[in-house]
Amino acid sequence: MWVKLAFKLFSREFRRGELTIIFAAIALAVLTVFSLSSITERIGLNIAQKSSDFIAADRRLSSNHAFDAQVLTQANDFGLETAKMLYFDSMLFANDELVLGSVKAITETYPLRGKITIKDSLTSPDYEVDTGPKAGSVWLSEGLFYTLDLKIGDQIELGAGVFNVGKVLVKEPDAPFFSLSGNKRVLLSYDDIPTTQAVQAGSRVFHRLLFSGNEQQLSDYYTWLKPELKSNQNWEGIKDRQSPLGNNLDRAERFLLLAGLFGIMLAAVAMAVSAKRYCERQYDPVAMMKTLGGSRKVIRNIFLLHLSLVTTFSIAAGLAIGFILQTIGADYLATFMGTELPQAGVRPWLLSSFIGLICAMMFSLKPLLDLFDIPPLRVLRRNLGDTLAVSRLHLALSFITIFVLMWIFSGEIVTTLILFASTLLVIAILFGISRLLFAAGRSLGLRPGSSWSLAIATLQKRANANAIQLISFALAIKLMLFLVVLKTDIIADWQMQVPADAPNMFIINIAEDEVTPIEQFFTENNIAHEAFYPVFSGRVDAVNGEKFARRVSKQEGEEKDEDAKEGVRREPNLTWLETLPEGNEITEGQWFSDEAMAGHEIEVSVFDGWKESLDLKLGDTITLLVNEQPIEAKVTSFREVDWGTLKPNFVMILSPNMAGMVPVTYFSAAQLQDKHTKDISQLLQRYPTISMIDIKSQIEQAQSIIAQVSLAIGFVLSIVLVSGALVLISQVQASLAERMQEVVILRTLGAKGRLIKLATLYEFMLLGAISGLVAAIVSDVALLVIQQQLFSIEGRLHPYIWLLGPFSGAFFVSSIGYFMVARTMRQNTQGLLRKLA
Amino acid sequence: MSGLTKRVSTLEGSLTILSDINFTVKSGESVAIVGASGSGKSTLLSLLAGLDIASEGDVHLDGEALSTLDEEARARVRAEKIGFVFQSFMLVQSLTALENVMLPAELAGDHDAKKQAIELLEKVGLSHRLEHYPSQLSGGEQQRVAIARAFIGSPKILFADEPSANLDSKNGHLIETLLFDLNKQNGTTLVLVTHDEQLAKQCQRIIHIEGGQLEKISEGGAANVG
Repeated sequence: MWVKLAFKLFSREFRRGELTIIFAAIALAVLTVFSLSSITERIGLNIAQKSSDFIAADRRLSSNHAFDAQVLTQANDFGLETAKMLYFDSMLFANDELVLGSVKAITETYPLRGKITIKDSLTSPDYEVDTGPKAGSVWLSEGLFYTLDLKIGDQIELGAGVFNVGKVLVKEPDAPFFSLSGNKRVLLSYDDIPTTQAVQAGSRVFHRLLFSGNEQQLSDYYTWLKPELKSNQNWEGIKDRQSPLGNNLDRAERFLLLAGLFGIMLAAVAMAVSAKRYCERQYDPVAMMKTLGGSRKVIRNIFLLHLSLVTTFSIAAGLAIGFILQTIGADYLATFMGTELPQAGVRPWLLSSFIGLICAMMFSLKPLLDLFDIPPLRVLRRNLGDTLAVSRLHLALSFITIFVLMWIFSGEIVTTLILFASTLLVIAILFGISRLLFAAGRSLGLRPGSSWSLAIATLQKRANANAIQLISFALAIKLMLFLVVLKTDIIADWQMQVPADAPNMFIINIAEDEVTPIEQFFTENNIAHEAFYPVFSGRVDAVNGEKFARRVSKQEGEEKDEDAKEGVRREPNLTWLETLPEGNEITEGQWFSDEAMAGHEIEVSVFDGWKESLDLKLGDTITLLVNEQPIEAKVTSFREVDWGTLKPNFVMILSPNMAGMVPVTYFSAAQLQDKHTKDISQLLQRYPTISMIDIKSQIEQAQSIIAQVSLAIGFVLSIVLVSGALVLISQVQASLAERMQEVVILRTLGAKGRLIKLATLYEFMLLGAISGLVAAIVSDVALLVIQQQLFSIEGRLHPYIWLLGPFSGAFFVSSIGYFMVARTMRQNTQGLLRKLA
Repeated sequence: MSGLTKRVSTLEGSLTILSDINFTVKSGESVAIVGASGSGKSTLLSLLAGLDIASEGDVHLDGEALSTLDEEARARVRAEKIGFVFQSFMLVQSLTALENVMLPAELAGDHDAKKQAIELLEKVGLSHRLEHYPSQLSGGEQQRVAIARAFIGSPKILFADEPSANLDSKNGHLIETLLFDLNKQNGTTLVLVTHDEQLAKQCQRIIHIEGGQLEKISEGGAANVG
C-alpha cells in the first residue's frame, strides 16, 4: 500500500518542483564528472597518441649493449608491436669528401607511432611516409647533401658498404628535441648493418627497442620485464622524458584533474544544501503522517523510495546531458585540433554514476535520519524539529564524503589535501566573519527605515544561516577564481617557454676561429642569435677518486631516476660559463666567484637532478674524461634547470678557468626566417664543418600542442564555471525561499517594493562581496602552494583577484538575488500569503 | 487520565506546564478543554492523543495505557482509533483534497480508502473539489477537507485543536456545525480544545484549565443531548 502512496507523492512532489533542486544537484554532479572525465580522457588519449609520435612508440627500451633475444620475443608474445633501432657513428664518403655521420639503423616496422618526413630532392616539397629506406638505400639529412655535394641517386660509402642515396630526410618523429648530434643524420635499414661492418665488438653503439600496444599489454609486459632489466637498460614512455612536452603534458593533466575535482566539489556543495533543504520542507508532511498513524517504517520506506527514484532519474539525466555536452565539446575541440578525438572507455560512465550514487546517499543520509526523527507533536508546536537542522554528524559526513570523492576521482592525496585544507580555511574564516558581523551589528545604532539598515539588520539576524550561504558562495567563487587564474598562469608560462621570437635553429660544431666571422655574418644579415657557448663532451669517470661504474647501483623499477641514470651514463655536453644562464637557479652552494675563476682549481656546477644519481655533495671532486684526458673539478654548486625552455641547458657547467685545457667547438642558436634561406646556404658553403639543427618544426609542434591543450583547458574551465554559476543560482534561490516569510510580512505591513528589492540587493551585494574577498584571499594562498608543488610554476600573488573576487561576487550574487526577489514581488500579497500557508 | 503532569526543562530549570490533571471522558461524549493562551490546553491535547508522553501520570485510551507504549505503538493507536482536526488544517500540499482524505486510511493499509473518502467529501459539501490541491481551496474548504480526513477509518475519538480559529465567523460556524453533525452521526467521542466559550458550550462537558491546573469541570449546553 505504501508503495502506491510513495509513487503518488513522488510524482506530485516532482511536478510541484520540490524535488527539482535535489534532482538538479545530483544530475549536476553526474554531468560534471561525466563530461569532465570523458573529455579529459579523450584529450588525454589524443595527447598521449600525439606524444607517442615523439618517441615513435608508446614505450622504448634503451641500452649501450645488445638486448637478449627474449626481450623481443616476449614482447611479441604479449601482443606488442616492436621495432629495433641501432645508433652509431660512421664515416661517410662521397665525391672525395669524408665526414662523420650519425647513423640510425631501423627495422621495417619503424616508426610504430608518427611518420617520417622526407623530400624527393632538395627543392621538392616534403611529405610523410610510414616506413624507412629499403635495404641498399640510405636517406640523408639535408646538411650531408651540402657537405658531400650529393644529389638523389648518387652513391655513398658508409663504412664498408656502398648505398644509394634515396631521399632527403627532413624529420623523424623521435629526432631529439635538443641534441648536438648534428644534422649529419643517416637513416639506414637494419638489415644493412652487417654490410657496413661499422659495428664491431667494442664499437660505441646505442641500442633501442620500440614497443606499441594498448596500456594493458604494455603494463603486463613491463611487469614481466621489470625484474629482467639490467642497470644499463632504460625503460621509458613519453612522460618520463625531461622535455618541454613531458612537463607540459603533466601540467595539462594536473589542470584537468583539478578542474574535475572542483566540479565534484561544487556539485557536492549543491547536493548537500539541496538534500538538507528538501528534507526540511518535508518536516510538516512527515509530522502529519506520523500524527495520522503512519509508522516510522512506512515513512522511512516512502522517503527512501523517493531518494532512490530521484537518484536513478537524475543519474540517467546527468549521463544523458553529460554525454551530449561532451559530444558537442569533443566535436568542437576536434574541429580546432584538426583531428578526431579517440572515444573514451567505460570509466566516465562508471565513475560518474558511482559519484552520483555516493553523493545522493551520503548527503541525504543525515537529513533523512533527521526527517524520520521529526516528532508528530510538530503538528501542534510548529518549530519542533527545526533545531535538528544543522548537526555535526551531517557536517562531518558531508566533509568526509567530499574528501573521499575527491580522492577517488584524483587518486592524488596531496592535491586533495591542499584543496580540502584551503576549503576548510574558507569555512573557518567565514564563520568567524559572520560571528563578528553579528556581534558588531548589535552595538551599531542603525537608522531604521532605510534599505541599507534593513539589509544589515537582516544579515545580522540571520548570522547562522548566512554563514552557510557565505560558505557556499565563497566556495563557488573560490573554485572559479582558482581555475581562471591557474589557466592564465599555465598558459602564460607555456607561451613564455616558446616565445614568438624563440630561436628556431641551433648552430653547432663551430670552430673557435669561426665564431667571430659567423657572429659578424649574423649581424650583417640581421639575424637574431644567442650567445656562442663553448661545448665539449665528457664522461663522469670517478667521484672522489672512486670509479663511477661501481657507484651506480641497480635501482630496479625506480622509473623516476631512469632518465637521470641514463644521462649519467651518456657523455653529456659540457660547457664553461662566467655567468649563471637564464632559467637556472642555484639550489645549494655558490656560483663561481671571481677568485675561483682566476685560480687554478676547476669548479663545477651540477644539475641538481644528478645530485642523487651520482650521490654527490658540495666539495666532492668529480673526474671527467674528456677525450680520454682526465679533468678534476670540485663541486661548488647545484643548479635547478628548467628543461621546459627551448634554450640550451647543461647538466654540468665548469668554471671558465679551464678554457684552453680541452678542444671545444662552439654552439649558438638563431632565429631564422624564410628570407634567410639563401644566406644560410652561403654560410654552410663557406663553413662546411658547421651543422645546423632546424627546430622550427619542433617549436611548431610544441606550440600546436600547447594551443590544443589551452583550448581543452578553456573548455573544461567553462564547464566548471557553468557548474559554479548553477550552484550560486540554486543557493540564492534557496535562501530567497527562506526569506519569503519576511518579504510577505514586510509587504503586508506596507513596505514599498522598492525598499524590499533594494534591501535584498544590498544584502546579497554584501554577502557576495564578503564571500568573494575571502574566496580571493584563500584562492591566492592555495594557488601559491599548488603552483609550486604541482605545476613547478614560480608561485606569485595575484592582486587583481583580490578585487575581482569581491566585485564579481557582489555583482553575480546580487543580480540573481535582485532578479528573483523582483519576480516574487510581482505577485500580490494575498498570493504570497497563501504560498506560505 | 490520572495524575497527568508535564514538565519541560528550560535554561532556567524545570518548568511545569501541566500539573496533576485527572478526569475521564466517556465513550461518545463531547468535551471541550478551555483556557487562556498558554494555560496548557494544547499540551493536554497532545498528551491525550499520544503525540507526547506525560512526565507523570498516564492516559488510558480505550483501555490502552499510552505511557507504556513506544512511539510506533502510539502511532498504531492513533491510526486505529483517533482522528484529528487542527487550527492550521495541516493538509499535505502535494496531495489533492481526495488524496488528503485518503491518506490516513492508506497509511493504515486500508484498500477501501477511495470510496470512503469520496463519501466523506460529499458529506462536507466538497464533491466538486475532489481533485483540487490545498492551495486551490479557501481556508474554510481546506478545514472541511481536514474534517473529512478526521472521520475516515471511523475513529473512536476525534481531537480538534481550535478548528475554527483561523476562519472568519461565517466559515467558522459552518465548520463547527459540520464537526458536531458528523460527530453525532458517527457516534465519535469528541475532545475539542478552544478558547471560544460559545463553541465550548456546544459540548456536553467543559474542562477549564488555568495555569496548567484543572480549575473546574462544568456542564456544557449539549449536556442533555448526548
